[in-house]
Amino acid sequence: MAVTTDRRLLEPWQDPKAPPYLRIDRVTKRFGDLYAVDDVSLNIFKGEFFSLLGSSGCGKSTLLRLLAGFEYPTSGRIFIDGVDVTDVPPYSRPVNMMFQSYALFPHMTVEQNVEFGLKQDRIPKKERQERVGEMLDLLKITELRKRRPDQLSGGQRQRVALARSLAKHPKLLLLDEPLGALDKRLRESTQFELVNLQERLGITFVTVTHDQEEAMTMSTRIAVMDAGQIMQVDTPTAIYEFPNCRFTAEFIGSVNLFEGKVIEREADQVLIEAHHGGTLRMRSFHPHPLGTPVTVAIRPEKMRLSEAPSPDGVNQLRGIVEDIAYLGDVSIYRIRSNGGQLVEMTLTNHQPRTEQALTWEQAVSVEWSPTSGVVLTE
Amino acid sequence: MSQSTRHHPKGRRRLSRLVNIGVPYFWLGLFFLLPFMIVLQISVAETALAQPPYTALWEWVADGLLQIQINLQNFMLIWEDDIYLAAFLNSLWVALICTLLCLLLGYPMAYAIATAAQRRRMLLLMLIVLPFWTSFLIRVYAWIGILNSNGLLNSFLLWLGIIDAPLQILHTQTAVYIGVVYSYLPFMILPLYANLTRLDPALLEAASDLGCRPLRAFFKVTLPLSKPGIIAGSMLVFIPVVGEFVIPDLLGGPSSLMVGKLLWTEFFSNQDWPLASALAIVLLAVLVVPFVLMQRLQQNMDEAAS
Repeated sequence: MAVTTDRRLLEPWQDPKAPPYLRIDRVTKRFGDLYAVDDVSLNIFKGEFFSLLGSSGCGKSTLLRLLAGFEYPTSGRIFIDGVDVTDVPPYSRPVNMMFQSYALFPHMTVEQNVEFGLKQDRIPKKERQERVGEMLDLLKITELRKRRPDQLSGGQRQRVALARSLAKHPKLLLLDEPLGALDKRLRESTQFELVNLQERLGITFVTVTHDQEEAMTMSTRIAVMDAGQIMQVDTPTAIYEFPNCRFTAEFIGSVNLFEGKVIEREADQVLIEAHHGGTLRMRSFHPHPLGTPVTVAIRPEKMRLSEAPSPDGVNQLRGIVEDIAYLGDVSIYRIRSNGGQLVEMTLTNHQPRTEQALTWEQAVSVEWSPTSGVVLTE
Repeated sequence: MSQSTRHHPKGRRRLSRLVNIGVPYFWLGLFFLLPFMIVLQISVAETALAQPPYTALWEWVADGLLQIQINLQNFMLIWEDDIYLAAFLNSLWVALICTLLCLLLGYPMAYAIATAAQRRRMLLLMLIVLPFWTSFLIRVYAWIGILNSNGLLNSFLLWLGIIDAPLQILHTQTAVYIGVVYSYLPFMILPLYANLTRLDPALLEAASDLGCRPLRAFFKVTLPLSKPGIIAGSMLVFIPVVGEFVIPDLLGGPSSLMVGKLLWTEFFSNQDWPLASALAIVLLAVLVVPFVLMQRLQQNMDEAAS
């Protein structure tokens, strides 16, 4: 019992009775004929690090701007902490935003930038200075306090922008591509720092990103968006291991898709006749009627590769090695199946490369177990 | 071969740098410094019944004796005679008032253009620049027709019944203000527009996000960031207006004495080239010195801030 309570505290979305902190209720935003956000409903809980993930133009930024109040929804309502904020202008919302361009005020020092929001709230000077000091301290930019934005590096500006948006202790912090402008190395270290900061402050973060790795590393949950709609909302693990549609499966990581139709059902497994030949056996909890067109999605690292097919194996695919890409830690093999389909798989290089037996043009067998992938209907 | 190719570009670069710097310097020297020196020379001469009507700066008197004559009386006259001081003060005053009026009128217009939709922006800019297609002189003459006692403005006001008798606007300082503001408004709007379009709209969103109402955001973010545009526009209006001649001559009256008018009178009516030149030199000093000082101050402040 105690365990389940714990789990509910850590994963409030599992608890049907938990009140959402941010509730997006059937929000639509239309620009002319374009549905930038199309009937989106979403519940985000207190303390979450929530990511809106999608390629550019999928509506994730518009959704964030709706939350900030820069855009007014065509229809639908937005609630924060139980209060309907749909009609509340941005300057009165308990929400702050970190802009993709950082949007630091160029005519103000770092200190004045961070203090700006507190000044608007008419907080007494002494308290204001304390809060600014705290924020500068928290983000380790105290020694930059007298500098102007044009005298800062990209990473330093990012910290100032973060300090400024956190200074008002918002109920919700919106981050638009927070790491987008940083170089790769800095981005990786900042990811962890951002998560630590969020856990320490307990502020609910909603971030927009097109970088799936970034979303996977930082988020409690991810919403995958496409064409203004949310395709799937789940934890990074669930999104990766159990995508619910082809879009999510293909958007996050690499995946091999085998199209076919259901020919037999037995207990929790289905038998699928693949278009490219062969019969696949997969675990599925959905009651697919016979004849349903489905797609089997298998991640490249969940497959086994052998020179000869194992005698008792299901899901066997024969083919020849067409391409090998050696990446150091792993190697990617591209295998052309006898049915003509290209299958990609990754193998960890346990052995030094020179001792590996597989080579180009070699006939091989690809195998996977019925629980290694998912059966998709969309 | 490698030797020559290695050295060749360097020499070439030096030459191209010399040309790049040299051309503008040459231009300034020929069309600014040289005329200035000539005017400076005339300003320290005396009037003479000659062609040109002033004495030479130097003269060979006898064997090996060079006589240089520097006459500072013109400058002393300008200093002592109240009419010149009054003209200078009035010119500066008119320029100041007109600059402020241009700023007050031009800023909202520049802001409106900068925030208009892309398609309408070009049209609005066109409208600002359109008057330049007609001669400046003709446009000022047109104002005589408007401001006359039986001109368009008075007729309209009489027709409305706001006034009983025509207002005397033409040949007053008010007419000068109207003419100057009308003529110089584009010079205020264009640099302001250029400045305001470069303003990142995200900055205003950030201000709003941090709790700033729109009006306050304007005063806290937009206005301070448009300072360079305000300074550029103000300078483009203020400096030429101080020396403006055509508008006060055509629209102004006897009370609206400005330096430009005075200078013209000395030069053409009184044939007193040295005094006219001295006025021009003083005018330049009055305009240039404060701006140089201001720029210095600004630079020092910027350096102190960084």
